[in-house]
Amino acid sequence: MRAVVKNGVGIFSPQGFLDGNNGDAFLSLEDIHATIKINADIILVSLKKVVFFNRNGLDIFVKMFTKIREEKKIPVGFCDYDLKKYNTIKTFYQNELDFSLFSSQDIAGLFATNYKNKIQSVLLYNEDKSQRSAMAIELHDSGHNPIIAQTLAEFKKKKNIPNTYDIAVENTYLGQMGENVSARVTGNSIIYTVSTFLDADIGNMFNITYHNNSLNIGFRLFIFDSHKVVSMNIHALNFFSRLSSSGAEYNATICFVGLTFEKIPQVFKENMEDAGIIFFEKMEDILGNKKLLNELGASSVTAVKNKRVINKITVNELPKFIDATVSTIEMMTNSSAIKEAVKIQSMQVSDYEDKIASSIGYYGDIDGMLILVFPKGIAKKACQLLIGEETDDMELILDTLGELVNIVGGKVKTYLNDNKINVNITLPRTYQDTNSLLEIVQNRKGVQVDLSFDNDKFLFFLTR
Amino acid sequence: MITNEIINDFIEKIPPAPKALQSTIILLKEGKLIQASQIAQTDLVLNAYLKKIVNKPIYGFKNEVNEVSQIFGILGVSSAQQTVYNYMMTLLSTDKWELFQLKESSFYELQARLSRKWKQILEHLNINDMEIESAITLLPASIIVAEALFKSKKTDVNLLRSVNDLDLNTILSRLCSQDLFDICEKIALKWEMPLSITQIVQASSGFKPLENKQLNVLGKWMHLLLFYELSQPLFIEAGLNNFIDFKIEYVGDIYDEFASVMDIS
Repeated sequence: MRAVVKNGVGIFSPQGFLDGNNGDAFLSLEDIHATIKINADIILVSLKKVVFFNRNGLDIFVKMFTKIREEKKIPVGFCDYDLKKYNTIKTFYQNELDFSLFSSQDIAGLFATNYKNKIQSVLLYNEDKSQRSAMAIELHDSGHNPIIAQTLAEFKKKKNIPNTYDIAVENTYLGQMGENVSARVTGNSIIYTVSTFLDADIGNMFNITYHNNSLNIGFRLFIFDSHKVVSMNIHALNFFSRLSSSGAEYNATICFVGLTFEKIPQVFKENMEDAGIIFFEKMEDILGNKKLLNELGASSVTAVKNKRVINKITVNELPKFIDATVSTIEMMTNSSAIKEAVKIQSMQVSDYEDKIASSIGYYGDIDGMLILVFPKGIAKKACQLLIGEETDDMELILDTLGELVNIVGGKVKTYLNDNKINVNITLPRTYQDTNSLLEIVQNRKGVQVDLSFDNDKFLFFLTR
Repeated sequence: MITNEIINDFIEKIPPAPKALQSTIILLKEGKLIQASQIAQTDLVLNAYLKKIVNKPIYGFKNEVNEVSQIFGILGVSSAQQTVYNYMMTLLSTDKWELFQLKESSFYELQARLSRKWKQILEHLNINDMEIESAITLLPASIIVAEALFKSKKTDVNLLRSVNDLDLNTILSRLCSQDLFDICEKIALKWEMPLSITQIVQASSGFKPLENKQLNVLGKWMHLLLFYELSQPLFIEAGLNNFIDFKIEYVGDIYDEFASVMDIS
């Protein structure tokens, strides 16, 4: 079975009846590994369309969860269930419940470690006090604003107050959570959360591929929220020093916030400062200071020292990128997409207003970034197959545009791999307006292609 | 990806039901079992099919049955008609399955299982109606249609489904404003199958409830039965479990009764 991966959450959705006879047919370890490879950092099985399950059926999944949890240190569990199913699972497993339960996919997404732009105000309740606290900590670490209800009555009362909370979390249980370093996006900076004792394992827990990709797509300021770090050893010190040095070619800055040196040798601090790492006491000291943010490179990418240009190999493979885009649009709209003009230039967007965009990075034998810019109305049309109904919900349209560019990225990957060029793709990123996109691609040369379908024009831009 | 022209072309190419089959069905409807079996005997492929299907364990016959007259005699008029309709559906089927990992034998297995369980359900509901018993035979046509339309688009479908949990029925409906079950209905019309069959099968899609309460309830039972069978390892591995969307809320009110009939605990 294939999973759908959204915002770092990989979800398998079996349908019908689940018992000891068919669990293995629904899901295998290979399926889970393939999902992790495409950037999932939470693996869940949705029970939304399962009308019947028994303990034997769930056990097959739980055994796989345990293996994956041990191997990859990522959260695993079930999602999309009603209260009856939630209580049944809790009864089945009682004290052996070491996987997670998320009542919906949206709630699971709050706990994913991948990049998220939007901070959510989260009302939460669990009858178990320690669960309430654990959830609040995880949500806070992921950049959200958790509000704990102390009683069910309080939860119900607060939940019914309109426009106060973005999401309410109940009937959710956190099993062993991931040990990976969580990352979130705030403006143009990325905040990583690290905790406890930092040692050589930081190299395994930190997603270096994402870090490098975010450098490639224009992020310049990386903040390690280290309020909960107790201490670190020489291996962690070396890791952070190397990370800082390797970011220098991009003019990137690494900051630590809240790191105390009570149990860390002072000489470590000096070594880190020598590697260019800056220390702050509180997060507001950086995020609340616009001038400082600008100085640290969190406003634009104009300070990039080494501007990377489109190289020959990328130009040679350009038709594949265009083909992937054209065939995806054709698939989604059932109409012919036409290539109108190809130019090598900095990205030129006419009528900045009313345009939205989506980008996806690729890395491996070649690397770069593919960007699609659409007028809002045309984006809706291009995404009609995925959306399915008329909508003006901009968040939904942007999410769907992200899915569309993800499909293009998937096709590019297949085309290139067929020609023995191995690449992987990043998560897609979307832009509600072109200003934030232009900040990233400003002054970068690339290949711009004007495309159209049904006489509706949109723009393709490929850069490094 | 898939256009209405492609769908029309597919329907256009469906041949009319062979004359021997048409005559067999007419005679069965008139209750003339012996004459029907005599006509059926003239179609050698139908003969072979009948032997294969009724000798499957799910039919529960202790000894192998080989003669068409014997098969019709054991099945009775209603089930004989159901089996002949099942055979008609196989005429649409492909020799080489590409989208789904099916073989002739596994497809026959699905037909046999659906047919026997449907009969069991109708007995439970005290419904004794030839056409309603045959309605189940049209359901696997949705799988044949999905295979025919999507097999050359497998990569696109996989990419699409890696980012969005869309079933094939929804994809087709959004692209062409007609779905797998609408196409099944067109096939049924072409083969002059009774209206009640198409109505129940349309309802069994799970998102087109009928105003006729009895037929709508039958649609619910059929929807649930389909997913009961598509939860068998053989059909999950064939990639059939999520080719259409299971509407759990549609069958909520009959689930307990279904579980009791199928002895699920």
